[in-house]
Amino acid sequence: METKGNGAHRAKLLTASLAAFAGTALASELPALGEDESPWQVDVTYENHSVRREHTGLAKFRNTLQAEVDKRLASGWRVHGILRGSWDGVYRMNSGEYGKKAGGSIDMQSTTPGGYVTSPWGTGPVNYTLVSGLGYPGAAGNAFVDNYGPNNPNEGLRVLGDRWHDINGGVAFAVPVRPCDYDSRGCRDFGGYGDKKLSELEAPEFNERLDFIRELYATKTYDLADGKSLFLKLGRQQVVWGRTDLFRVLDVINPVDYSRNNIYDELSDIRIPMWMIQAEYRMGASETMQDRNLQFIWNIDKFRANNLGQCGTPNTILDAGCFFRGMANLWDNGGTVSNFANVAPGTLLATNFGPGQIGLKDVHLPEWSLKNTQFGVKYEGVTMNGLSFSLNALTYRSQLPSLHGGKRATNSFTGAYQSAWPYLISFDMHFPRVNLIGGSMDFQVPAAGAAVRVEAAFTDGEEFANTARPELYSENNVFRSVIGVDRPTFIPFISETSATLISGQLFYQHIFNHEWKKGDLGPVGMPDWKDSVIGTLLIKAFLRNGTVSPQFIVAHDFMARATALAPQVEWNISNDLKLTIGANYKVADGRSRWEFDDCRSCNPFAPFTAPNGDANPMVAYSRGLAGMEPQGRFRAGPIGAAFKENDLFLKLNYKF
Amino acid sequence: MKKRSFALLSLFAVGAAGTALAATEADVENSFNPYKAGMPSFAGLSAGTVINKGNVDKFKDVLGAGVYKLIKDGAFEMKVGPTTQFSISKAYVEATRSNLNKTKLGDKPGDMISGYVAGRPFPEEPDAKDPRAGEKLAWNYKYGVNWGDGAIISPFYWKYKNMQSGQVEKTIKWDFHFLNFMHRTKDAPVPEITPNPSGIFRAIYVKAHEPQDLKNTQLLIQRFEDDAKLDDAYLYLGFQRRVRRLAQGQVTDAFLGSDLMIEDFEGYNGRVSDMKWTYKGTRNVMLPMWNHDELKLASDMPAEADGYKYVDFGGQGGCFAEGSWQLRKVYVLEAVPVNANHPVSKRVFYMDAQLQNLNGANEIYDRKGELWKVFMVGKSHADHHLPVNKGAGIGIDDAFSMVDLQSKHCTTGQFKGQVDPKKNPPRLFQVQNLRGGD
Repeated sequence: METKGNGAHRAKLLTASLAAFAGTALASELPALGEDESPWQVDVTYENHSVRREHTGLAKFRNTLQAEVDKRLASGWRVHGILRGSWDGVYRMNSGEYGKKAGGSIDMQSTTPGGYVTSPWGTGPVNYTLVSGLGYPGAAGNAFVDNYGPNNPNEGLRVLGDRWHDINGGVAFAVPVRPCDYDSRGCRDFGGYGDKKLSELEAPEFNERLDFIRELYATKTYDLADGKSLFLKLGRQQVVWGRTDLFRVLDVINPVDYSRNNIYDELSDIRIPMWMIQAEYRMGASETMQDRNLQFIWNIDKFRANNLGQCGTPNTILDAGCFFRGMANLWDNGGTVSNFANVAPGTLLATNFGPGQIGLKDVHLPEWSLKNTQFGVKYEGVTMNGLSFSLNALTYRSQLPSLHGGKRATNSFTGAYQSAWPYLISFDMHFPRVNLIGGSMDFQVPAAGAAVRVEAAFTDGEEFANTARPELYSENNVFRSVIGVDRPTFIPFISETSATLISGQLFYQHIFNHEWKKGDLGPVGMPDWKDSVIGTLLIKAFLRNGTVSPQFIVAHDFMARATALAPQVEWNISNDLKLTIGANYKVADGRSRWEFDDCRSCNPFAPFTAPNGDANPMVAYSRGLAGMEPQGRFRAGPIGAAFKENDLFLKLNYKF
Repeated sequence: MKKRSFALLSLFAVGAAGTALAATEADVENSFNPYKAGMPSFAGLSAGTVINKGNVDKFKDVLGAGVYKLIKDGAFEMKVGPTTQFSISKAYVEATRSNLNKTKLGDKPGDMISGYVAGRPFPEEPDAKDPRAGEKLAWNYKYGVNWGDGAIISPFYWKYKNMQSGQVEKTIKWDFHFLNFMHRTKDAPVPEITPNPSGIFRAIYVKAHEPQDLKNTQLLIQRFEDDAKLDDAYLYLGFQRRVRRLAQGQVTDAFLGSDLMIEDFEGYNGRVSDMKWTYKGTRNVMLPMWNHDELKLASDMPAEADGYKYVDFGGQGGCFAEGSWQLRKVYVLEAVPVNANHPVSKRVFYMDAQLQNLNGANEIYDRKGELWKVFMVGKSHADHHLPVNKGAGIGIDDAFSMVDLQSKHCTTGQFKGQVDPKKNPPRLFQVQNLRGGD
């Protein structure tokens, strides 16, 4: 509440000062546009979006009611709002997969020379009794546990990552998957998700951030002298930078809600609107430029992160929500970790950690304060030769979390508490400040009959997982760019009268000072690829006067070797009724490339955690023992980490 | 010596041509008032006549080929009204007079004209012996009054209709804005809006309000003074909230699923150099032109606060405006796309000699050379329309019908045209204006 109060106050002050500035330059003889008051205009739409997922059954039965309201005031201000409420029945209709009956009892795995051996979660061979029996000084004070109490039963659990891979000798632990009012284990607010009750998952807009007010803003254009104008847009809004689809290179002002439909919804439906002040000084043409604009964005809202999806819900991009919840549960309640203790050559035993030893403890969501607000400026113009371009700068808080490791913990082997353990997988979650500079442009290529879009950004302040560092992360500068080409093409066998849109994009990301080195047992450093490339291709046709529109999207992650194929047909049955049928199928043939150092061989509790036969058993660092969890998700990317989530969907939209 | 002879000969030829082609005051008078000597007539045709399937052959000579076919097929009946004067704004006529003979064609067809200042560049009567007569008419169209120095159509209803069943598949509610940046003659600033470093001659800004899936879709087309320069076109998709630059090919694509392509707007919305223009003769032809306030208007359209009512539609599938047609002096003009891959093989225009607009009864032929579509834009006299249009000195586009004869489909349009400079500030025609949308 304090945030909103402060925000509103500041908005009022800024509006007043901008209006005063505008007033000094107002030319009374300039045209008055749209100053007549209009009645409220309200458009109400209903949407049902149902998804059937291979292996899991119903994965969405979301019903959305949306009202779009508009009013023009006599003062020249215009008010626009979108109210959205949705209810997803999947949690009741498929409660065994996503609701209060989700999950169950699970098994953990140990690796032995004879193969994998499973044991029920909570019965890891390495436990308090076994370690006590090792007889080293202080062994009796070890913090492992023999079993878990009634607050941490082997119920309502799934194995981390089981939606996209088997344990296969890697790290695995339990993830509670039921809504937080049915199972509170590992529940945290990770930034708008992670601690939600069933009712909040079912109807996500009705929360303390009042997300049912999806957008609510007022706009006004003040005409200034010489054809210039000042455009103001105040309120909860989306601000879209850049010129590319799907990829967020410059389009990073609003966080994104991936829990709605992973990466497969229009960004305008999943950007999380923020309370912002937007002012544009529209200078129009000059002697050398056809258009010039200077835009200022001040995001005065309390910080919000990208919603990565709560574990146990159908859409958890990168399976991150499950990793976080499982780690939080490990910290709070302890748990069995598969294939952890390297007690003999080729032997890695499931281990019963107690609470407060490994896991995720604190989530540091930035509070509202002036220094936590976010500010952007953009110069956008069109040259006299028709090159449309922008130069952008933004200082913001990362909407993706960064896990800072090596934090406080109790030594599992001795029971000693220490405020920091280098290389220990004891984490806190942070959202670092990021500074971005970038630009974009578009132009025509007449000879090719195509339009080209280019976008690039350089960021400073982003953080990445990095097992070569004692804190298990590093700050790296990043360069991202996208080049897109749109070409309408007449393809006679599709339509002789309507062009088919062919749109291709190539995304490139480079991480500067990327750390990657060979350890004794495998690569160590940053799981993210130093250079990654993703290509997308859209083919969209318009048939029967545009009432039927088939389209096909292919997205291929070259480094992950994962591909998403998304065919769909949109049918506008009438002005008010639209039906969309489609599918989303993924193929991944590079899964072995995703495995990466999981820090089992980091040896934070030296010498106890040193790999069997290690040359430096007293030194903590990673030797590079690898598995799919937890770092494989960074290499698999959103396509690879969801490669088993093949969906068929049906969407019905009706406007009242 | 021989060289000098050729030079002399060339000079003589130019001099002769200059003498022959120079327009006179009389040409200006004739161009803007082709009915000074009386209104055209045709045997058996008078105000009140209804041309239908039964009698259409009697009037074939005064009908465009496409319109004739539609009536012959029983698609609609044509109500005949009297031929009336559509006087053009005095400022435009005066500009024509002041700049008479200043405009010169380029060296070859498709080249940019030179010396043009304002008004009608080539007011002389086209000469069938002049191989570039068609091109001159095309320049007259480009620099014609069309919507004057600027105007808006707000609202503008388009309906996609199945011609056989009459089912209305989609209704779009638009605003269309037109603004001339250069060669302005009437509304301040005259003669041009500055600064304008790209040399934009004219811009069209379009915004959709309905239906929901197109809401806030905006289109901006900037046409340049330099005819060799491709138009710049930008599309803002409301559901994407992003401005996309359109590739050139998209101007010949079915616009948002309608029966129109962007190139069809206003009759022809492309560069002069994109077509090979041929003047095919002068005729008297029926064109849809009327006085809006004398028509029986639609009762099934949304109410306007000022009581304005739209032109009604009827005929097969509701594809035809229920306005009257009048016998007009027209120049038959044929345009063949220079680009062999163009989806159209030929356009035939019946250019009203007085207005020199291109949208009365156009025929559009497909790549196989078969009649594909007929585009009919009905115009109202400005003095018989909204009060704000009184004295505008243009023909107010009032209703259109684009009929696809092959797919038996049509798109119709109902206009509320307003020649009101206050509603057309230049800032609307900047790309950034699109980004300020919802």
